[in-house]
Amino acid sequence: MLVAALFLLGLPSVVTSFQSSQWTLVLIFAIAVMGLNVLVGYSGQISLGHGAFMALGAYTTAVLISHYHVNYLLTIPIAGLVTGMIGFLLGVPALRLSALYLALATFALAVVTPSLIKRPDKLTGGVQGILLVPPDPPQFASSAFATLTNGPQMTSEQWLYYLSLGIGAVLFWLAWNVIRHRPGRAMRAIRDGEVAAAASGINVAGYKTLAFGMSAFYAGIAGSLFGLATGFVSPDTFPVALSFQLLVGAVVGGLASIAGPLLGGTVMYWLPIVSSQTISSQDWIPTQISSVFVKAGPAVTYGALLILIMIFAPTGVVGLITSGYAALRNRLRGAGERGTGQMPPDPQTV
Amino acid sequence: MQEFLQQVVSGIASGGIFASLALALVLIYNAMGLVNFAQGEMAMFATFVAFTLIDRGMSYWIALPLTLVIAFAGGVLIQRAVIRPVERAPVLTLVIVTLGLATLINGLAGFLFGYVPRSFPSPFSVHTVSVLGALVSYRDLGVIAVSAIVLVLIYLLLQRTTLGLTMRAAAHNPDASRLLGVRVSWMLALGWGLASAVGALSGIMVAPILLLEPNMMQTIIIYAFAAAVLGGIESPLGAVVGGLIVGITVNLAGAYLVGGDLQLAIAFLIIVAVLVVKPNGLFGRPSVRRV
Amino acid sequence: MELLEIEEVRAGYGPTQVLHGVSLAVAEGEIVSLLGANGAGKTTTLRAICGGVRWDGAIRLSGRSLRRMSTEDIVRSGVAHVPEGRGILTDLTVAENLRLGEHLRRDRSQVRKDYDRVFEYFPILRERRSLSASTLSGGEQQMLAVARALLMRPRLMLLDEPSLGLAPLVVKSIFDIIRDINHTDRVGVLLVEQNARLALELSTHAYVLEVGRVAVTGLSADLKGDDSVRRSYLGY
Repeated sequence: MLVAALFLLGLPSVVTSFQSSQWTLVLIFAIAVMGLNVLVGYSGQISLGHGAFMALGAYTTAVLISHYHVNYLLTIPIAGLVTGMIGFLLGVPALRLSALYLALATFALAVVTPSLIKRPDKLTGGVQGILLVPPDPPQFASSAFATLTNGPQMTSEQWLYYLSLGIGAVLFWLAWNVIRHRPGRAMRAIRDGEVAAAASGINVAGYKTLAFGMSAFYAGIAGSLFGLATGFVSPDTFPVALSFQLLVGAVVGGLASIAGPLLGGTVMYWLPIVSSQTISSQDWIPTQISSVFVKAGPAVTYGALLILIMIFAPTGVVGLITSGYAALRNRLRGAGERGTGQMPPDPQTV
Repeated sequence: MQEFLQQVVSGIASGGIFASLALALVLIYNAMGLVNFAQGEMAMFATFVAFTLIDRGMSYWIALPLTLVIAFAGGVLIQRAVIRPVERAPVLTLVIVTLGLATLINGLAGFLFGYVPRSFPSPFSVHTVSVLGALVSYRDLGVIAVSAIVLVLIYLLLQRTTLGLTMRAAAHNPDASRLLGVRVSWMLALGWGLASAVGALSGIMVAPILLLEPNMMQTIIIYAFAAAVLGGIESPLGAVVGGLIVGITVNLAGAYLVGGDLQLAIAFLIIVAVLVVKPNGLFGRPSVRRV
Repeated sequence: MELLEIEEVRAGYGPTQVLHGVSLAVAEGEIVSLLGANGAGKTTTLRAICGGVRWDGAIRLSGRSLRRMSTEDIVRSGVAHVPEGRGILTDLTVAENLRLGEHLRRDRSQVRKDYDRVFEYFPILRERRSLSASTLSGGEQQMLAVARALLMRPRLMLLDEPSLGLAPLVVKSIFDIIRDINHTDRVGVLLVEQNARLALELSTHAYVLEVGRVAVTGLSADLKGDDSVRRSYLGY
């Protein structure tokens, strides 16, 4: 953990500004994945629509800045709270849906979101979206950075990196505490068996909607930062694929684990980019096959990798490492009963 | 009034398309308790196959059944290769696998066929004919007719043949069916094949209307979800009825209420409303599904 | 060579071992009863024969080992299993259930005759032909299950607690029919029952399971007459 922290803190000083901005996106995705992890991994509810929450957060920030000239820093928590509240409210009808239906409904939400954004075009800028100017770093930060690294003043990309890192760290600490204490235990109890949990006196409805709201809050903040970091929001920046990538990030990174989200964020950002390159560099795959993958583009590799990961490591890479491969295969092959979207028990408690 | 009638007929035609794809979803749900998020992409891919055949000179009326057969084989293959290894996994895993499949197929289609929208031929002209005073296009009538025929054939297959009986048995109660000598695993594969073929039909019928490109089915699948959910995800009849209702409703709402761009939002509302008010849909059984 | 031979079979569910070395045999056209208290392993034995549970040891049908065969293939070799709970497909009609019994058979004219027999034994099934099987009462569902098994024309029939939850008169008529099927078609029957008295009257040989092992075996007639066996193992 400490190593990771040092690495993350030091990163911008050793890489280019552009690369910092790439890692900013990793951090932003990690924040969203953290929230989704709470929902899916800990409380056992599936959402294929968290891209919509990110969109909501991003647009809240964009609209507040461009129409109402609110200070950008202030828009971040506002975006989070607005999205969180909507998430909490949506969590109420979600209670009535079984896992599959919830996946279906949230999937539909993700598909519908771009057209919902386009409609009120006076506010949202319609198809063209809203442009945001990336904020300049505040003077104190910029000078401190320059002094510490013996280099130039901080760029706005680097500032956004640190901003995201700071917010991410706070949210991480928040999530960690929730998980560690009663809400986390309650959620896990719900995930592993709702009826039993209810029978033990756990307020199932309350915790499930809390999980929804919390995960939406995180996604909203991530969306807000996303808008600031990329400088542009439009309906097309939040397609269905984003929601799916978030879920993939959560699953591959390891559901119901704490280190997972960071890995998940990394995977989310890099996998589409890197997958075709990785495949072609693997010597043991015959060139005919790998060249198909390279030419076919990231989607094919992405999809194929995903399927393979689900077949062999359904609790994600982190789970794979901690539980051991054989145990996971057994759990997947024979023991699983398909019920209300219950995940295998979490392999690690932090 | 005339325009209203036209919209209704148009809605019925759309409904036929939605019903076919919804039926595919229902077939797989009945077999495995799983919603196949890749159904739309599978249909799109099959439509591209049909396009390629026709482009190479094959007559539409030969390419159509041939494509359905190919789609059938594809569905069986996918079940054997991808789904069977994760058959007993939790819902989330299966959802992700089908989503991964969707991504893969979409990317593959883009790679093989490109992203340029193509126009897909229809054997029915767009000329209109007057029915009860309203102007209805031959194409809409054709879609209605073809959907109806295929749906009736599927009904006959499932309800009147031994094969259909064993497929239904395997879907409803695999353990008891095994004790009767039914090869359950193969019945599941056939179910996927059949669903794939039916889905392909919906793709082929919608392609002349929208343009054929890899993302063509992404909105149609939402309408199909709405139809399946409304009709009851376990009921083939529900898929048909649901499809018709969704088709007509969305068409009318688009024309008179909210405008074309929000038709998808209407479908979403239907999904949410049904799931919250009557999750089993119109024809679904209230019984709890076996786990 | 017997119709069914089971040798030193061990079986269980995961970490729980239920059978600890069970051996029994059913000759061609013979009725054998498998008795014992709840949890003794009777159902598990039947499941093992049909491949529904992992087992060690030897199980042979007419000399052919059943290891590695899937349930449906074992059934297709001539085994009909009427499980506890009857295995009725309640989403289907009575006629469809019966059809599933005979759908694999090629001898269609004989099938027609068998349908006549089935309806003669169980007229109610003809009456309720087009209705959903879920509308049948417990006793009627048991009749349907036995009728369906008859239509399968098996060489070996495995019956798990056919009397469970049924009124005495219904039980009697079902047992009469089993006796008749066995007599007419020379079908071997392995009958698991808690109602030991009826089972002993119907069968020629009997095995009593206790905690996963065969505790007592012998001719049913002998066991019936042996008071100590009856009291210790059979509860009456």
